[in-house]
Amino acid sequence: MKYAFYPGCVARGATPELYTSTIAVCEKLGIELETTSMEAASCTGSGVLQEKNQRLGDTLNARNLALGERAELPIMTICSTCQGVMGQAEKRLEDADYRASVNEDLAEEGLQYKGNPGPRHLLWILLEDYGLEKLKAQFIRPLTGLKIAPFYGCYLVRPEDALAFEDNPDRKNSLEIIIEAVGAEVADFPGKTACCGFPILTINQTNSMKMVSNHTLAAKREGATAMVTPCPLCHLNLDGYQPTASKQVGQPIDLPILHLPQLLGLALGIEPEVLRLNKHIVETDKVLSAMALTP
Amino acid sequence: MSEPYLSGIIRIMFEHDVLVIGAGLAGMRAALSAAQNGVDVAVVSKVYPVRSHSNAAQGGINAAMADRGDKWEDHAFDTIKGSDYLADQDAVEVMAQEAGAEIIGMEHMGAAFNRGEDGRLGVRNFGGQRDARTFFIADFTGQALLHVLHEQVLKSGVRVYEEWFVTTLVMDDGRCTGAVAMDMRTGELHYMRAKAVIMASGGLGRVFEPSTNALICTGDGIAQAYQAGAGVMDMEMVQYHPTTLKNNGALMSEAARGDGAYLLNSEGERFMERYAPNMMELASRDVVSRAEQTEINEGRSIDGCVLLDARHLGEKFISERLGQIRQLGIDFAGKDLATEPVPIRPGMHYIMGGIKTNVDGLTNIPGLYAAGETACVSVHGGNRLGANSLLDTLVFGRRSGVHASEWVKSQPAAGGDASVEGTENARLQAILDRKDGELFGPVRTALGKTMDKNLAVYRDQAGMEAAWADLLELRKRFEGVVVHDKGRIFNTNLIFTLELGFMLDCAETIIAGALERKESRGAHTRTDIPGRNDAEWLKHIVVTKAPEGQDTPNIEYVPVTITQWEPQERKY
Amino acid sequence: MDVALNVRRFDPEAERPESYYQEFALEVDETATVLDGLIQVREEVDGTLAVRCSCRSAICGSCAMKVNGKGVLGCTTKFIDVMGPDGAAVTVEPAGNMGLIKDLVVEFDAHWDKIKAIEPWLKPSGPAPEAEYLTSDQDMLHLAGVMGCIQSGVCTSECTVLEIDENFLGPAALAKAYRFVADPRDDADVDRLGQLNRYGGIWDCTRCMKCVEACPKDVDPMGRIMAMRELAMVAGYTDNNGASHANAFYDIVKRNGLLNEFWLIMKTFGMFNIPEMLKLAPIGIKAFFRGKMPPITFDKIPEPKSVTRIFEKVEGRNK
Repeated sequence: MKYAFYPGCVARGATPELYTSTIAVCEKLGIELETTSMEAASCTGSGVLQEKNQRLGDTLNARNLALGERAELPIMTICSTCQGVMGQAEKRLEDADYRASVNEDLAEEGLQYKGNPGPRHLLWILLEDYGLEKLKAQFIRPLTGLKIAPFYGCYLVRPEDALAFEDNPDRKNSLEIIIEAVGAEVADFPGKTACCGFPILTINQTNSMKMVSNHTLAAKREGATAMVTPCPLCHLNLDGYQPTASKQVGQPIDLPILHLPQLLGLALGIEPEVLRLNKHIVETDKVLSAMALTP
Repeated sequence: MSEPYLSGIIRIMFEHDVLVIGAGLAGMRAALSAAQNGVDVAVVSKVYPVRSHSNAAQGGINAAMADRGDKWEDHAFDTIKGSDYLADQDAVEVMAQEAGAEIIGMEHMGAAFNRGEDGRLGVRNFGGQRDARTFFIADFTGQALLHVLHEQVLKSGVRVYEEWFVTTLVMDDGRCTGAVAMDMRTGELHYMRAKAVIMASGGLGRVFEPSTNALICTGDGIAQAYQAGAGVMDMEMVQYHPTTLKNNGALMSEAARGDGAYLLNSEGERFMERYAPNMMELASRDVVSRAEQTEINEGRSIDGCVLLDARHLGEKFISERLGQIRQLGIDFAGKDLATEPVPIRPGMHYIMGGIKTNVDGLTNIPGLYAAGETACVSVHGGNRLGANSLLDTLVFGRRSGVHASEWVKSQPAAGGDASVEGTENARLQAILDRKDGELFGPVRTALGKTMDKNLAVYRDQAGMEAAWADLLELRKRFEGVVVHDKGRIFNTNLIFTLELGFMLDCAETIIAGALERKESRGAHTRTDIPGRNDAEWLKHIVVTKAPEGQDTPNIEYVPVTITQWEPQERKY
Repeated sequence: MDVALNVRRFDPEAERPESYYQEFALEVDETATVLDGLIQVREEVDGTLAVRCSCRSAICGSCAMKVNGKGVLGCTTKFIDVMGPDGAAVTVEPAGNMGLIKDLVVEFDAHWDKIKAIEPWLKPSGPAPEAEYLTSDQDMLHLAGVMGCIQSGVCTSECTVLEIDENFLGPAALAKAYRFVADPRDDADVDRLGQLNRYGGIWDCTRCMKCVEACPKDVDPMGRIMAMRELAMVAGYTDNNGASHANAFYDIVKRNGLLNEFWLIMKTFGMFNIPEMLKLAPIGIKAFFRGKMPPITFDKIPEPKSVTRIFEKVEGRNK
């Protein structure tokens, strides 16, 4: 299995632990990541560029998608936001006339997007390409006794048509499937498909922090030892700003937030340090000690 | 006895110059014009204004605009012909003459009417009219106009009592002096005193089952005016719309046919060729509904329906102009108008009759006005043309607002004894105190079924008599209906039960009028007495409440006003 | 077919008012909606059940409710689409983010107050023309897309910002505002955008897309909010964190092809906006020691000019 790897901006910036743990997990699973073809790919626009100029966002993503086509490999992403934003662009670019018009602006770059399928998130690839049974067989260190809360990130749950939920019904509860596959219990809570608050962090920090505290505390009420997210932006807020949120709400939270590959890595027997579990703002000791591992 | 309904309530007096009952297009248009005339106006509505049934008008609103080369006389003639010559021609003339100004007024308020290439208002064809003069906003014209008018009401500062349910009109010495209404949030009853009341509470569709009408269309205002002594006119004229969905009675706009859709029978034939060779699918509604019913009765149907076929119009056109009904077809019939024919059949849609008024909305009761579907001016006569109902609400809503607000300026404060609150309270309490019995639901359903069976597209003496007998039986059952909810806050159980009482009154006037009219005219088609009989029946039937001790209501005849269009044979 | 409804009930006049669930077993048609089921309950089984509804065809906007936790119109939600395997009960609860009155009836007051707050009426400048305003059908069709809103409050129910901040105008009122901002006949758009360019307005939306997904009439409230953000910036309302963030994001990606969160924050607040920087400082310092601080030197894609050229081309198209 080989994929052109599109990590997105955040995994290469503020959440380097996501990048490192993805590499480690894929290596362990025998998934080959080809990192050069998508090196020239840009930011997807993250919904922010789209709000200024949707066509601009679509053109940038057509460029990214064209780079992927040139690699002649399926593309893997590890960011809910990248997945969602590119999925939406891909959907709009299904219109041949629109695609042709957008392609005009790519001509000078020697690129053309032909309309082939775009990236898929590691989370989906594991279920759809790798296979759950094969995956389970690799888990040598089950997370028995742990209760993990899922947190998807908006772009991995809405809008449904850009995420092809109808054709791939498992995508809707893919995180729960993975949590159970690693041997943990799901700490279900209604906020799992809500917003983490990151997009308004710099606009209305109070509200952003309320979202963080609401979700983390709700997960804890359901008995969660930790939360797992396939979105690095959610991670930035839920982990990075958890102390701020805790201060604002006036009560301790202390809920470790794991990146998806970190959860997988633990079950695969990869050392916590390799997964950079020591690089979080909220200590991950609780998870590790529950698994009889040292931080 | 449980605790009295009104115990412990602090009484606040509610007093206004003009009280409008109902916040649909007619009510809000009336309120705005009255407020502009400088009097104190309030609106009371059992639902939030934008929930009103004006929403449901899909296809558009008619006007013959002189600056587009159309003549109001042509619109008037089409309307009169459509009415099977039962409409009062002076009233139709008023409506046709004022139509253009109302539409331009709504456009200036912000209604996003469809445009032509030149940036001017665009039109579509509609049934029963020789020229395209139907202005529209996609296929949700009523909703768009309702919301725009609501915006203007918000701007005007007119007080709206939202979710207040009127239980009765208040009469004082032959004059209407207001109403008693329940604040549904608290369950409190209040006498809302007013120098003039404008009844604009909409139609009575729920008297029939099924119906295209919303659940709130229970004929409250017609029944309350009837109980107060107002005459109700043309009540036998019940419109069955040609294109409704079988499952839930939902309406598929005439705009579909206006924009070119066909009607097909089970043999794939455009059967309207045999019934209306010139106008085809765009003949007037009574004609099309009868044709469909004949096809269905003669076995050229699919599961009791014929087909509405719009496939040839193309997906883009359908999504832009008929998007809402396309979705309705998908949701409720499992058929996409763009790719497959949708099964439809005639379904109860509109009451041409209502509280008898003059062209200023005034009834036979001083201080009581009526406008919109509640009223009968009469501009629709035996059959209303599509896209004339919105127009009716605006023109006569405005006129009643103007007239009532002018009239109240010369009137002393309304009297009326505040003890009506107590009387109403006792009446409602007695209903609440009933212990055992059936809920209102089965009684209402039985009423709707007998009306739909016996007073539909085709009628006969035996059927109408059977309906009358059923009505008497249902009135007895109604006396024993129990209300489960004994509380005060949002007691919809009590409200629905009161509405059922109103519906029974409405049914009484419909059946009485229908039994009286011994001919076939417009929507009143009798298989036992075919053919129109102008010599004897070119007249309105006005029904008034029976005095105590009399079994059947009083019937009067009122001549039809003819101005310039002598009745002719009606061909489409 | 046999179905079961599990309805959250609330009687405000009970001795100790509290919510509870009650199950009703019903027999309905294959095509029946959840609202049909509720109507059957209140008409034939339990008259005390309170639920607002009227048209049964998604035009009056009365029957917003949560079905299996999701905000919907009861009248367009069919049992066959929401019932669990083996006929497991369908859970029906009142719409969210609004106070409870009784059973499924919620307080709409705040919803309407916010609609009123945006001054929802056309504000043309000067007297109206004698005939209609001249405008294109395209403009009117665009408006019709927003005017299709039936004020059902389904978006209000689902909004993740309203959940935590009742001062947010919310998707319904903001979509309504857009209807006027985008109306060529309305001349108060700059003023309106200024009013919306404050706390509780266009910048407080967190772009979670819940309203887009939930809207029963495809009004796309969030898309309208985003359009107003751009219009507000064009109108010169750039002196706020939202606009700065959007502009900084734009500039960084245009120059580098990639986003760098550190610079994004620096540029959003302005290099010398010490108070705002300090707010973020504790995390910044901690992150630095954790070795997660984004590199201060720009992260670039190999040939960032390729992206810059695309920006310029698309910008050129707009002109």
